[in-house]
Amino acid sequence: MTWTWFHRLGSPPYIYRLAGRLTPWFGWIAAVLLLGALFDGLVLAPPDYQQGDGFRIIYVHVPTAWLSLMIYTWMAVAAAVGLIWRIKVAHAAAAACAPIGASFTAVALVTGMLFGKPMWGAYWVWDPRLTSELLLLFLYLGYMGLRASFDDLQRADRASAVLAIVGIVNVPIVHFSVIWWNSLHQGSSLSLTGKDTIATPMLIPLLLSMLGFTLYFLAVVLVRLRGEVLRRERAASWIGEVVAP
Amino acid sequence: MSHFFAMGGYARYLWPSYGVTLLAVVANIIWARGLLRRAKTEARRRLDMQGESP
Repeated sequence: MTWTWFHRLGSPPYIYRLAGRLTPWFGWIAAVLLLGALFDGLVLAPPDYQQGDGFRIIYVHVPTAWLSLMIYTWMAVAAAVGLIWRIKVAHAAAAACAPIGASFTAVALVTGMLFGKPMWGAYWVWDPRLTSELLLLFLYLGYMGLRASFDDLQRADRASAVLAIVGIVNVPIVHFSVIWWNSLHQGSSLSLTGKDTIATPMLIPLLLSMLGFTLYFLAVVLVRLRGEVLRRERAASWIGEVVAP
Repeated sequence: MSHFFAMGGYARYLWPSYGVTLLAVVANIIWARGLLRRAKTEARRRLDMQGESP
């Protein structure tokens, strides 16, 4: 077992070039998957027997809510790696995650409100799921605000990493809130361990959409990561090659 | 076609939710690319300054 791959991942020029090569792959595959999900979800999937065509909001609501939790988890893990092993690239990755995570948490909340109004009769209720998701948005915004309050990037990296790591406790709370408490929000339609509680023609566009959004996130975060790496490595000699006009 | 856009009466909730998602998808692409472009410009400027006064 060799650890060279791990060391390479901590090397800014290697990461910069790798990110640049991977971005178009993730981006174009995501575009194809999302267009497929859009057509499948809006046209091919049958209407729900209770929620009619309104259920089709899940094809944007569930994947964005999934992104909000997945991105936070990545952000906290990257921040922890950066803090423990003092790897600058890991801090750069955490910083790259936050704005994308924050925006899709906001989208998950807004699409959830637009889903809630016709189904529950209210845009907002102080329900455990909704409240913990709102807290997730504030964690992202707090992380970004804390970073912005430091002029020194290294201090910003360390202070914000602590906040990201502490905030991870909210991720399982969001996920399990519909099980732990008596929530108005419906339970999960997808299950890794048991049987999915959704019909196959409705499930396929959902899976396409979730995979598409995940790859889309990877494409966008890799672009941001390159920007963050450049900001941290301004004096390094390899920069001259990659920014040559 | 109008039947499709009516979405069984859910149009006023469904299309805004797709719209706001599309907005975030496009905005994040523009935002990320702008960040990378600015970082490159900044790095180039720094290298030029170092080159002039070694």
